[in-house]
Parts: sequence; C-alpha cells; structure tokens
Amino acid sequence: MDQPEILFQWNGNTVTAKPGDTVASAIYRSGVRTFTYSYQHGRPRGLLCLTGACPNCLVNIDGVPNVRSCTVPARSGMSVLAQNQNVYRGFDSPAVKRFPAAPPLAESPHHYEHVYLQFDVVVVGGGPCGLEAALASAERGLQVALLEKQPALGGDSMLVEEVRAHPAITIFVNCTCFGLYEGNLLGAVQIDYDRPHAETLLHLRAASVVAATGAYETQFLFANNDLPGVMLSTAVQRLVHQHGIVPGKRAVLIGDAPRCSTLQIELQAAGIEVVASLRVDSVVSAVGEDHVRGVATEAVTYDADLVVMCGPLLPDLGFLAGTSPQSVTLVGAAAREGFANQAYTPPPSAQSTDAIACLCMDVSGKDVAETIAGGMGHIELIKRFTKLGKSACQGRMCQTAAVSLCSQISGQTIAQVGTTVARPPAPPVTLGVLAGMRHHPARRTPMHYQHDQLGAVWMDMGDWKRPRYYDPAGIGNQEHCVKQEYRAVRERAGIIDVSTLGKIEVKGSDAGRLLDLVFTHEFSTLPIGRIRYSVLCDELGTIVDDGTISRMDEERYFITTTTGNVDFVQQWLEWWAAASALEVTITNLTAGLASMNLAGPQARGVLAQLTNCDLYSQNFPYMDWRQATVAGVPATLMRIGFVGEMSWEIVVAAEHGSHLWEQVLQAGASVDLRAFGVETQRVLRLEKMHIIVGVDTDALSNPYEAGMAWVAKLDKEDFIGRATLARMKQNPLERKLVGFELEGHIAPPDGSPVLVDGQPVGWATSVRFSWEKEKVIGMAWVTPAEAKHGTPITLRSDAVDYSAIVVEEVFYDPTGQRLKM
Amino acid sequence: MSFLLKCPNCGERSVYEFRFGGEIRQRPSPPAGPEAFITYALYKRNIAGVQWEWWYHRGGCGEWFKASRNTLTNEVQQTLLPQDEEQRG
Repeated sequence: MDQPEILFQWNGNTVTAKPGDTVASAIYRSGVRTFTYSYQHGRPRGLLCLTGACPNCLVNIDGVPNVRSCTVPARSGMSVLAQNQNVYRGFDSPAVKRFPAAPPLAESPHHYEHVYLQFDVVVVGGGPCGLEAALASAERGLQVALLEKQPALGGDSMLVEEVRAHPAITIFVNCTCFGLYEGNLLGAVQIDYDRPHAETLLHLRAASVVAATGAYETQFLFANNDLPGVMLSTAVQRLVHQHGIVPGKRAVLIGDAPRCSTLQIELQAAGIEVVASLRVDSVVSAVGEDHVRGVATEAVTYDADLVVMCGPLLPDLGFLAGTSPQSVTLVGAAAREGFANQAYTPPPSAQSTDAIACLCMDVSGKDVAETIAGGMGHIELIKRFTKLGKSACQGRMCQTAAVSLCSQISGQTIAQVGTTVARPPAPPVTLGVLAGMRHHPARRTPMHYQHDQLGAVWMDMGDWKRPRYYDPAGIGNQEHCVKQEYRAVRERAGIIDVSTLGKIEVKGSDAGRLLDLVFTHEFSTLPIGRIRYSVLCDELGTIVDDGTISRMDEERYFITTTTGNVDFVQQWLEWWAAASALEVTITNLTAGLASMNLAGPQARGVLAQLTNCDLYSQNFPYMDWRQATVAGVPATLMRIGFVGEMSWEIVVAAEHGSHLWEQVLQAGASVDLRAFGVETQRVLRLEKMHIIVGVDTDALSNPYEAGMAWVAKLDKEDFIGRATLARMKQNPLERKLVGFELEGHIAPPDGSPVLVDGQPVGWATSVRFSWEKEKVIGMAWVTPAEAKHGTPITLRSDAVDYSAIVVEEVFYDPTGQRLKM
Repeated sequence: MSFLLKCPNCGERSVYEFRFGGEIRQRPSPPAGPEAFITYALYKRNIAGVQWEWWYHRGGCGEWFKASRNTLTNEVQQTLLPQDEEQRG
C-alpha cells in the first residue's frame, strides 16, 4: 500500500520525508549537510549525535525556536527554518553564511498540560534493560510506569509485546525525564507529535525509580572536529540502520580499536569504504571547508567524506543531577562507571588550535589553555570564564573533552579536575510546559447572566467577574453611564451585586473570644441582632482587611470580608483558633450565598413590596439585621451603608439570587431603580470617605493614620496589634489619610504623587469626579503638616500639576442622617 | 521543593497542597510591650536543622497542624494536630 507522501518546508524549499523520518533525517536525506552556523564564529555545523544531545540540529519549527530536529518526527505541512541569526562577526571570523532570519517568537500555539500520577516503580528508559526491569517489577504485583524518550520501545520484539500486554505497566513514549526531585518526584515531558506542539508535563511520584537510560556518546578533540561530516558513531548507525541513508563513501574511524573494528564491519556492510581507523591522540586535524574532506595525522592525510568518532560513552543520568537519590536503581549501560574512566588523551594539537571543546559557545582548546594559563584553572572558573558548557546542550557534548583537556594541560588527574556541578532540568525543558495551560479561572455570581443582559461592562476582581458599570444602550461612554447609576442611588434607588464579598460564619462557645482577639473592635459584647464594622490588624498594627460582623445568636457570628481576601481571612481566623486552642467552627459561605445591596432614599419602598418585615428605623435601625422572607425566599436583611444612603444588604441562598435580583428590579421599576456597578459604588463611597482596604491603604497603614481611631478598642485586654497600636496612639502620626478636592472635571489617576512646594509628601489613593460637589474629589496620604483643612496641595500626573485643597469633612452627608432615615 | 508532608487527617501528600505557616512561636502575653510583639512578629530563629512549624492543608481538609521539619533536608519527622503537644528535642 502506498504511504501518503510527507512534505514539509525547509527554509522555503519543499522536502520529502519517508515514513519513520525525523525532521533532521529528512533534511539530511534531501542532501543538506550544513544545518546551522555556530553563534560565535559562524562555523558550519551538521548532524553530530542524532540523539537529541548536541546543539547542531536546533531549528525553528512552526515558530517555535530551539527544537532538536533529530527528535521530532517529520509531519506534513511543517514549516522548518534554520536558526543562526545574531552571528557575531568578529574581524577574525570566516565569511559568515546566513540562512534567512527566523521569525519572531510565535504567539504560543501550544497545548500544555500537567498531569499528576503515582506509581510503585517508575522505569526511565524503554530499552532492553528497562523492559526487563518493568516486567520484573510488574510480576511482583507493583504498578509500573515505563518512560521512553523515543517513539517506540526498543529491544526484543517478544519482550516488547509482553510489556505492552501487561496490565500493571503504563507506557509513556516520546517522554523525556528531566529531573528527580525531593520526595521521589520525577518530572517528565511527553510530546504528542500528532498534534502540533502538544506537550504534557508529568509529575510522577514513585516509591522507587529505576534508571535504564543507557549511555550517550560524546565527541573527541582535534582541529576542525566540528566540521559537517564529522559524526558520532551513534549518528552514523541511526542514519544507516534506522533511516536507510548512507552518509558517505569513504570513512575514517577514530577511537579505540575494538569499537572501531565492530563499526567497520557495519559500515562496510552498508557499502561504505573504511580507509583508516585511528587512535584519537594521533589525529591532528579534520580537513575541509564546508564539509569534511579528510583527516590529517602527523604523517599522512586520508581522503574521506565521513569521519566517525567512537567517542566516550557516558551514562545518560542527567535527570539525576543534583540529587542524592536513596531509592534509584541503575541498570544496564546507565549503571556503567561514568566519566572518570572515560577520559582520554587529546592530541597535542587540541591545546593550540581551534579544536572545538564546546560546540554551543565555540570555546576552543586554545581558549581553555589560555584560561588556565591566566590563572583560572578550576573547572568551575573555566566554565564561567569561557561559557563552556553553559548553553543549549548543557555540557553534554563537551564535558569529557573539557575535563580531559584540563587534566592534560594542568597535569592534574581526572579526579582532581573533577566536574562542574550539574542540576536538573537536563535535558532542557520549554518554559511553556513548566508554566502549563493558560487557564484563568473565572468566578461568576448567581446573577452573572442577568448583568450581561443589562449590558454589564465587566472587570476582574480577584477571581471574580464584576460589572464595572452597565451600558444598556451600548453608547460606550463610561462617565455618562456611571452618572445615570449615581443619580439613581442618590435620588431614587439602586442595586449592586455584592455576592463577591467574602462571607464567613464563626460559631462555637469561643466565637466571641476569637473575634475579640482577631478584630480591633469588640464583639463578645455585641448584642444579638446588631452589626459592627471593624478592621483586622496584624501584630504591627497594620490594617490587613475590614468588614462587618453580625451577631446571629449567642455563639454564632457572620463576617463579611473584602472580595478576594476571604481565603486569607478564613485561614487567619483558623490559625488563631488553632494556636489559641479555641472551640470554634469556621465556615466559608461565600459560594453558597448571593447578596445584593439595595440603596437609596426609595430603597425602603422598593423592599417593602417584597417583604412583610418592618423596615422602619424605630424597629429596624441602622446597623441591625433581621431574618425575613423576601420575595418568597428566606433572607437575611442587613441594614448597612457603604454608599452613604439608606440601604439593605439582602443575603439569600445562592440558588435564590437570580430570582431575588429579578424581583427587586421589578419592584423598583416604578421608581426607575437602576443596577449599579463597582465604578459607581467607588464614587458613592468616596463621597463618604469610606476606605477600601488595599486601595486606600497600603502594607503599612494603621487605623490612626487612616482616621479610624475609634475602631481600635484599646480598653480590650488583648487583640492582635493592640500593643503596637497603643504605642502608636501616644506617638505623633507620621502621615495621614485626608480628603481633598480640586477644580474642574479632569481627575488625575489614582496613585498620583502629592507635592507641597515641589516636594513629594504622599500620594492620592482614589480620585473621582463627584456629582455631589461638582468637583474632582479624592483621598490622599500626606504628612501631618498638610493634613489640616484648607491646606493647598498639588497632584502631579504626566508633568501636569493639579491644585487641590485638603478637606477635613466627609464630602456627602457628614452627619450620616441619610443612612438612618 | 517537592517533599511530602503527612497531614494528620489526610495522610501523606505533596507539599503543593499545603501552605507554610511559619515557625511555631510563643506569642507574648498582654502586659508585654510593643517591642516584645514586634520581635514575635518579625524575628525568626530560622533554624538550620529541625524546627517545629505550622502548616495548613489548603488543598485538603483545611487543618492547621504542626510539623517538625529539617530545614536542611526537608525531611519531615513528625506531624501533629494543634492540640497535641510537640516533643521538643
């Protein structure tokens, strides 16, 4: 049967791949020998390792840079570009040849996922040893994960079938393990080549780990060892056996005799003539310009179009770097003795020539020799000074060569030279897959879709979506819309969804004690049916949150917190309860309740249509709450007033929120009630100088500076922050939160600096146009000298100065009559 | 950082599920002045070795519990419910 042709683009030319081809093998098959040019000196580079270890075949695939093309199966429609822009053109550089510049980083087309899994045994490496280890573990009744970085398991086909059929073994192919971390956590990246750029980060917990990762080959040092056509034996074997490509006609082999003679037989069988097998210390130089043409020794030059290095084999244990694993078992080639026994004697020429020790950074033998001669003989210093081993291949190709060279130059033993400290991840991982999916969770209140129908313009507050204001006619003018909503609340009635506020129930015999300890105000003495505002301070007296606390009965309180801070407050309460051994139960009710604030001079008339509850102030005064049936559903009515009008917060079960919202809108239709958003609420509350913690306060604000001395009940024996607040009360203030007003309609942005005589004295926290004052108003932090009524101050924004005057009195209804009507 | 912690309620879980709550300290009693409270709030012993700490099982049962952890190795020796007395070495 005919396989469909695989066609993709390489630098704008069409390349035909055969089934089983990687991107690199297909490009090589099409006749390309130079895949890239080196970054520092623009030297041509071709295929070297074909195992994903070296930096020579990095390409840009579909906008993603630095992809190791020898690891990616060829797929139709790919757009592959060479990457080598930013070549340094020093005066001693050879003529630099360039591929077209790569496109800028693509807006990520990736699909990144994170998966968390647990196994008894994780076997890393799906070759013959890994298969044996997986089977042996599974036969003992253990759950096994088998990770293989290639697309298929390797080894005897009977064994592969047995492993695939075993129910206790889970196989992950195209899956590279990059690190072993504390608690036997393995990080691995699995790539799904059937989908463009689909990567999954596996977090694998394993009781024990088997490393069956085998070994990888590294290069030798001699002049021009980086020419295209000089390859590692693994690469040549893969080209010949896996891809059916014959990479040359006449080959020179370099390495020890047993491996060379085995390879010679393989190559001759593939039709390649082996003209010589040489020991590495006899090689002076590879010869050639763009591609190798031969190998020179002291005595003779061999003509060849292929040079094969049977280089040192190192256990492929990069993922174990930096760990002291207790339960890792090494098997197969990975268990072979590493690196110390793999050192070799580089030819004398390596020290004085451009024999490339580090392919990524073009560090030559000469560079290393000069660094050592300059007094930096320690391997870590050489790495830092020359950048050897600090780039794409993470030192995998250069480690043996560098250490061998250091040993040779300095006369130290290999053990004395040592190695640089390695840390995971190795091999490299994309930042994208570590970051994971682009996932912005959004919380929506029960009335969300009703806001949508009313033309809500949305804003994000913490995880929540809240209407900033409503634009039912779609006119796109924020000021106009906010003004309509503002007028409704001040003159008639308005309603705002406040379901996003945190809602916490505290109950138990120590509930009052806990709240007395945690809040600055006093709650054990609060009568049932009453509500009290308080802030919450830390031990330094800094305001960390605020809210209202309602006493529901003897041992039960209902707390509101600011939007986005409920988890913090809950954990704070729970910690103090645990640390102080208090008998309380703390429940976060935020998601289970819907709440809305009905405010305005006509609010009573609107609400009275929906409930029999007596809403008049003699029986239901300001800062009281009542249980009532509203629009047929059980509700808690809380008479509080953030926006400065008579208002009720109506709290119902979340499933009734949408019903109640609709009922309030209908009941309010006769007075032209309007839904209002956060922006309108901010203007309304600013006129009352009600603070928003985190907007008008910062990480240092205390209640005295914020003008809320009354909230700190220092006559309580103890509460968090009491000792520091008591001291602050005696000391002069360092700064103060004040109101100000300025002429005109233009409000400088929140956060604008405040100047006096050209010197900064503070900053404005909130600035809005007030329709009450027909001026711009705001709050600002200033030094006490400027805090007096009538003091001129200057706000500066974008080099424009705004003259303002400090105002001591609240801008709207200073006596609070409208709250209590 | 990926070590495991044994929640007294839920058993051994990844540290990602927990929030760190700091060293276990004795809060000063009310007659103490602000200096004592500021020292309590800001100055940590920061032991290089085993110390008792607060941990919160945010991704699980919501319990604040006590753990003795070696800060050099992240080995967790013991975890206790808040009402249980820790054995100090």
